[in-house]
Amino acid sequence: MGAIMEKKYLNRWKLTDKFVLAADAIAVILYLAFFIKAFIDIPIPTKEELVDVNFIFNGFQMSILAIFAMIATPLLVIDSKTHFNKVEYEIDAWYGGNTFVKGLISLLLLNPVSAILRFYNTHNVLKFATGHSYIEAIKNMGRWFKQKLEAFKNRKNSPDHEGEATDEEVRLRKKIRTQTIGIAGKSILLYGLIGIAAAFVFLPFYWMILTALKTFEETQSTNPSFFVALKDMQWVNFKYVLNEMDFGLYIYNTLLVGVISTLGTVVTTVFAAFAFSRIDFKGRDTLFSILLMTMMIPGELYIITNFVTVAQFGWISSAGNKVFLAMIIPFMTSVFYIFFLRQTFKQIPNSLYQAAQVDGCSDFKYLVRVMLPIAGPTVFTITILSVIGSWNAFIWPRLMASMLPNNNESFYLISVALNKASFMDPEGMRLMYNLQIAASALVTIPLLIVFLALRKYIIRGVGRSGIKG
Amino acid sequence: MMFKKITRNIKSFFSKVNWSTRNVYLTVKRAIGGVFRKFWSIVTQEEKRIERNRMKLDFVLKYLNLDGKDIDIQLDLDIAEIRKDLVEKKKALSVTYKKDKNQSVLNELNTVSRVIKYLPDDNRTINRKGDRKVETNKFIKAMIYLSPALILLAVFTFWPIINTLRLLIYVGYTESDGSIQGYTIFGNFIKVISQRGFIRPSAGTFSSALINTLLMAFISVPISIVVALLIAAGLNSIKGLKGFFQTIFFLPYVTNTIAIALVFKFMFNENFGLINTMLGWIGIDKVNWLSTNANYWAVMGVMVIYSVWDSLAFKIMVFLSAIQGIDKQYYQAADIDATPKSKVFRKITVPLISPMIFYIMVTSIIGALKVYSSVITLINEAGEIRGATYKMKTIVMYIYEYLNTRAPGNLSLAAASSVVLFGIILLFTLVQMQASKKRVHY
Repeated sequence: MGAIMEKKYLNRWKLTDKFVLAADAIAVILYLAFFIKAFIDIPIPTKEELVDVNFIFNGFQMSILAIFAMIATPLLVIDSKTHFNKVEYEIDAWYGGNTFVKGLISLLLLNPVSAILRFYNTHNVLKFATGHSYIEAIKNMGRWFKQKLEAFKNRKNSPDHEGEATDEEVRLRKKIRTQTIGIAGKSILLYGLIGIAAAFVFLPFYWMILTALKTFEETQSTNPSFFVALKDMQWVNFKYVLNEMDFGLYIYNTLLVGVISTLGTVVTTVFAAFAFSRIDFKGRDTLFSILLMTMMIPGELYIITNFVTVAQFGWISSAGNKVFLAMIIPFMTSVFYIFFLRQTFKQIPNSLYQAAQVDGCSDFKYLVRVMLPIAGPTVFTITILSVIGSWNAFIWPRLMASMLPNNNESFYLISVALNKASFMDPEGMRLMYNLQIAASALVTIPLLIVFLALRKYIIRGVGRSGIKG
Repeated sequence: MMFKKITRNIKSFFSKVNWSTRNVYLTVKRAIGGVFRKFWSIVTQEEKRIERNRMKLDFVLKYLNLDGKDIDIQLDLDIAEIRKDLVEKKKALSVTYKKDKNQSVLNELNTVSRVIKYLPDDNRTINRKGDRKVETNKFIKAMIYLSPALILLAVFTFWPIINTLRLLIYVGYTESDGSIQGYTIFGNFIKVISQRGFIRPSAGTFSSALINTLLMAFISVPISIVVALLIAAGLNSIKGLKGFFQTIFFLPYVTNTIAIALVFKFMFNENFGLINTMLGWIGIDKVNWLSTNANYWAVMGVMVIYSVWDSLAFKIMVFLSAIQGIDKQYYQAADIDATPKSKVFRKITVPLISPMIFYIMVTSIIGALKVYSSVITLINEAGEIRGATYKMKTIVMYIYEYLNTRAPGNLSLAAASSVVLFGIILLFTLVQMQASKKRVHY
């Protein structure tokens, strides 16, 4: 036990791990870049080609790249978290094995650099934790297996064996065994039920991605298949939807409207919440309760008047380009977010405000320098929820687009386009489900990525809300 | 060494630059401030005002025979007392003057009134005025911060509420030229309520918009609450893979309604759909879910399954956090008594989070009453199944139908139906508020 826990190996591990992270990050970027490159290089198909049975699209390369990116990105995130949070005493032989397995995964992901670095790091970890390297570790494993094998062979002679135990012991042992089986059975049942429920929840997502990657013929099958081979994945569906059906433009429109209205929402709600939480003006509580009461009124009641109002403002012109104002400005504030932020601001002790006032700090400076940094996570939550809300906005944008006199298709937002676009085949007889579902997937997948990445912040907003994202 | 020296030099250079910039900034600020102050004093004629105030004070002091004495009128005299005396004196003088119209008495009276007028404020008045000023300043400041939100809310929230009340009393209102054909009080409500298909069932069927919506709400909400509770309790009791399952159950939370409803529509397709294929495995014939001549309850089933799936994530999240908030002592006590799991769930978990369950139930029912986007995606714009006698419309669909057909008076009808919806929502909210006052767990 003399040589273990040498600082030297720890430092080596740290340094190499940094290189591993860098190599992984570069690999992820490369996967994505090649994927995008391949996607751009797909020749834009016609609808006739997509319907044609003989049309062949080989999606092997893109599928492989997509799967690589899907595996490598979470690994990178987990690894970087581990790298910055790992404490010295957590690094043991098991962690060495972990690193080795990850090295094998890197090899499978055609990333030899990080694989080699990880194998080297396994050596460092083993040296640090146990004082010896690969060979000794393999020998130890061999010994362990041998011991187990011996014990299994000699189980009749072992003192635990029932043959030499008293009747009482045998009885107890049997009881313990049945109890263990019962507990195991119960937990298997529990996991099974939860797994079935999870499958029920996940099924639409799986079916969406699967259908989006199928050919037209496959979607018309009365016996749909549950898998698509890598080389049969029709990435060309996405190409058609993005380029020929103008979903690229709709995504741009949605992002434009979403980003601007979110910025507006954050500014107005932060100011309003500050006034409601810190400035003690006359009629504050009355005004606030009036605002809260408006939350109960259904949105349809507002829409009835608002679509006349925006027309009177001249935002529904024949050129149409002002229609984005009509989509943005009514949603630049939100009573619910004011309420949510005010709750957070109220938790900040008032003594900070008094201290700032004594030091001659103006209110605006106090808001920007003190309150926003403290309430930063909540503001971030509001930003995400607002962006997601405008990504999913449907009723109002559809009304606005339908009010335009002509050429209103270029002002659709993404949900409106999903609702209005025609996915019929060239003869106009059958619905091209693969294209329709590909468009749906195009709308849903960014949301899923945002959700997975920022789950913590989104769920924080749920506890207080009775509304959906 | 070299490197350190260079960095030090760079740092000192930048700090010098910073210092001199700050000096320049402060000088400019002071100069501009001074100019503004000067300008303001010219505009408000500050010097003249000060002079006038001094003259007024002199006049008062002369009358009080304190002229030339070195006193501070604010501190050394009780101004409230003096004012009281002077007012009494003025009353007496005016009585005298009314009796015998004497010119000297009139002069005296005028002098006294002027002194009262010129008398500086006593401390209480000063305080009161100061308080009012602070109050006003605070109010102005608050309004500056609130104005962006309040202006938007006034235009797009408060005005619609007022306008809805206005629209309700119009007959035949046209929004393009604002012409109306008359006034009514309940006419629009009666028209909406008596229309076939809204509250009354249409001919040859039992379904109406209200019945459809209520059925959807009252079937899907209890199912989703029970399922969400069971899943939340299950998630709470497992250890391994908890994060994984949580993530999967929370996934539907952020989805786009239209996109997922399209996927559901494909899954429930009669010929190519996943659901019918899976039913085929267990030997059930193909069900006509949404196509021509579909059964009412089949369509309702799809709606219910969609809304259960859609609302599950939110409910699981809320219930899971509620269950995690329960005091562990109850469970430990149950453990000691070897209470079975199902009994623990029925007798501890559910009763302790029952206020939360009730709150979620009411808010979900309110949300389910407003269902629109999913229905028009799953069926169609008009909620019509081809070949069926019934129409799968919802309350909100009626509102938008009135909006989209621009006949005179339709806006008023839309307003009336939205107020009906609001009335139903208000009913549920009041029930919830009444129930939450009691806060009974067991």
